[in-house]
Amino acid sequence: MAKTKSKKKISRRKFLQGTGAALAVATAAPGVGAQNAATDSIPHTAIRVTVNGTQRRIEVEDRWTLVELLRDHFGLTGTKIGCDRGECGACTVLLDGKPIYSCSNLAVWADGRSVQTVEGLTQNGRLDALQQSFIEHDGPQCGFCTSGQLMSAKGLLIRNPRPTADEIRAGMTGNLCRCSNYNHYVEAVLAAAKGGSR
Amino acid sequence: MRQQQNTSIAPLKTVGHATPRIDAIERVTGKATYTNDIRLPGMLYARILRSPHPHARIRRIDVSKALALPGVKTILTHENCQVVWGAGGISGGLQYNDDIKKITKHRRYVFNNPVRFVGDPVAAVAAVNRHVADEALRLIQVDYEVLSFILEPEEALKPDAVKIWPEGNLSLNAQNQAQPMTTRRGNIEEGFRTSDLVFEDRYTTAFVHNAQMEPRSCVANWDGDKLTLYTPTQGISNCRSDTARDLGIPPEKVQIICQYMGGGFGNKNQNQDADLITAMLAKEAGAPVKLEFTRKDDFIGVHGRWPTVQYYKVGVSRDGVLKGIQLRGYSGMGGYRKNTGTIGGIDIYQCPHIDSVVYPVYTNKTVSGNFRGPEYPQGFYGIESMMDDVAYKLKMDPVEFILKNMTRKSRDEVPYTNYSLEECIRRGAETFEWKKRWRPQPGSDPGPVKRGAGVAFMAFRSALGRSNAVIRLDAKGHYTVFVGVTDVGAGAKTTMAMIAAEALGVPVSKIEVVWGDTDRCPYSVGESGSRTTIQTGYAVVQAAEALKRQIAEKGLPTGDNVLIGSASPNPTLEGKVRAAFGAHFVEVQVDTELGHVRVLKYLAVHDSGRIMNPLTARSQIKGGATMGIGMALHENLLYDRRNGQPLTAGFYGARLMTHRDAPEIEVIFIESDDGYGPYGAKSIGESSKVPAVAAVANAVFNAIGRRMKDLPITRDKILGALA
Repeated sequence: MAKTKSKKKISRRKFLQGTGAALAVATAAPGVGAQNAATDSIPHTAIRVTVNGTQRRIEVEDRWTLVELLRDHFGLTGTKIGCDRGECGACTVLLDGKPIYSCSNLAVWADGRSVQTVEGLTQNGRLDALQQSFIEHDGPQCGFCTSGQLMSAKGLLIRNPRPTADEIRAGMTGNLCRCSNYNHYVEAVLAAAKGGSR
Repeated sequence: MRQQQNTSIAPLKTVGHATPRIDAIERVTGKATYTNDIRLPGMLYARILRSPHPHARIRRIDVSKALALPGVKTILTHENCQVVWGAGGISGGLQYNDDIKKITKHRRYVFNNPVRFVGDPVAAVAAVNRHVADEALRLIQVDYEVLSFILEPEEALKPDAVKIWPEGNLSLNAQNQAQPMTTRRGNIEEGFRTSDLVFEDRYTTAFVHNAQMEPRSCVANWDGDKLTLYTPTQGISNCRSDTARDLGIPPEKVQIICQYMGGGFGNKNQNQDADLITAMLAKEAGAPVKLEFTRKDDFIGVHGRWPTVQYYKVGVSRDGVLKGIQLRGYSGMGGYRKNTGTIGGIDIYQCPHIDSVVYPVYTNKTVSGNFRGPEYPQGFYGIESMMDDVAYKLKMDPVEFILKNMTRKSRDEVPYTNYSLEECIRRGAETFEWKKRWRPQPGSDPGPVKRGAGVAFMAFRSALGRSNAVIRLDAKGHYTVFVGVTDVGAGAKTTMAMIAAEALGVPVSKIEVVWGDTDRCPYSVGESGSRTTIQTGYAVVQAAEALKRQIAEKGLPTGDNVLIGSASPNPTLEGKVRAAFGAHFVEVQVDTELGHVRVLKYLAVHDSGRIMNPLTARSQIKGGATMGIGMALHENLLYDRRNGQPLTAGFYGARLMTHRDAPEIEVIFIESDDGYGPYGAKSIGESSKVPAVAAVANAVFNAIGRRMKDLPITRDKILGALA
């Protein structure tokens, strides 16, 4: 049974405090206890979201995070979950052109908005200048943080097309890389910015 | 980008040229398939319930409410699942041996009772989705008898300490004997008697976590009696044999698949409890299961680097020649002994009298295990801080002291296959402008912001060993290389393709690599011990030679025919020791009012033999050095002494290096070809972290004139030392 709930009722604080399941309790109608977790009774919301340029309509569970929607329901597994609590940036995507942690945003919050993921960087089979530069500078080692680094860099170049190395470090500091290839990522973004990122 | 290459070795056509990864496009487009990206029809999701207590006996587990939750399919606990996790902790840290497994008194199960650390798995749930699985965990009722706990290894050895195992807290060795690990050479008393000066000190290192970006996950699927595991493992071959042994099924009934993995740095070696739990859940549920660790699960449920306490006593002549080195060390292993717990470093000094005794001790913390150079970064920090201090006390320049006392033969007797340590240090000191940056009087800079320089050096094993490779050539001229590597991030696939291209005399674009699947690939040691390139790379060269002989004999294949070359070499060193060498030079700036340390300049000089791919090799050096800075300055898994709870089990709390913290790392390779390995390749991956911690710590001393003896060197400690 689909119920449309106002997204305002789910505060960011409450969301960050709990896991998805705790959230289900917090947002369910009064009287729905923790034991009644069958999917049918979970509040749903129908949303419209533009993903990589294509408009999608989907009924989401209110407890789904945006990264859950992207990975599990749209099959866009390029976006990674490193911590699921807003600490590492592996899940960074662009929401209306701005980099956000998709693990720390609910899917319902994307209603009426536009999401770009790493899969949307390649246009007509042509790599984005950032992707090309990441390859040439050996940005990815294990590659798990790479999608997030790319989307963070993309967001940075949208608002600052010619950043300095320090501005890149500041802009991307929310994206951890345990392989610690920070030098190469910064060089790659600098080079892409010089060459002109589309 | 500064980078220098030594051209004293004969250049090759492909090897030695900077080459982008052959799978780079997959890595930048999101197409690379990591374990958690796998989705099978009808797949269930699993979560693990972990002990909230550092030490407790489980009196009763009631799973009835959880099982009654709609969508819950299977729950495992110690009552219905008694699988032994061989690689997780069998006496002596020698986990891969069937004989030891039979006799050991200290055996780790996937679910244990008693539980021995906060995070010890208690139950696992498989349900229709992860939300239901999460909810089910909350409905499992566990009645614990809470036991007293102990966190620090020295305290755990006191007679009145609570016993984590019935035999006591000194971990048993493979013969069930409670004995420390000892290394002796000469006569230490003689060494101190012949010394002009003897110095003693104590150093400690913190518990730090591998914290690779990809949290552990696993997908298990049974097809009849055959198990397929998709899992991030650094070694598919060992993961298969471990899993088969632990589940009591033949190895050929286990298929391990690892296409891409998000780092590991040693904590994805071999099989993990997650693999066994997922396999058992899938078997019990009769459906494929995906187990996902949360980040907290990963921090508290997967191992980190063992914390240590190191007591040194060093005897030296007045002119700065080492006479004796004594180490008494304690390593905190957690509730199980997953790896050895040794403390490395003494061996890099030339010294006639050596006495090292290291106690691997059980504690009620998360288990310790392999992490990038398992016993070295912490050991090198201890011994190289100690020696740096001795140099200052003798009024010697630390570089001069190193040149006088560093290893020239392994253990002072066995020659190295090549030796370049002196060149690493001299060339590094010159390039770094050591004399300009180093302060003869430590802490002498005027004003509150002081600069200083530090140095540390290393020798790291580059042993040979067995591996396999198969190369197939078809009539269209395509070469397919089958190797049992995964790609933890170091770039093994690309390296193997380059080595094959070199050996076959064809461009890299002609080579396809098949990797990461035990049903398709022959044995490889996997990405551990910095030996994939050396061992599997050498097998690729040999397989290429075998294929060339086939071609010479039979001609190129036509039509549907193929030619296959294979090799299973197991080369040996003929009485020599093979090592990579290196030296790191660091300049720091310390704000003595804030206690803040900033790395201003960092130079890493490495002899890793011939560099196969300078592009990825540089990434490895820079990454290891940067990790080392983090370990030196801020990484720490803290525990609350009152209740045994981990306090910093997450990325923020663990305080990893970020974009803003990472300085530019300058890399110099001094290349060599000692005639072993593929074209003279030696180890790289781990060695880059080994001297980093000590170099940073020594630079801090030079800046502030206070020796920082406890890692990490946080602001509060610096301010405390200066107060």
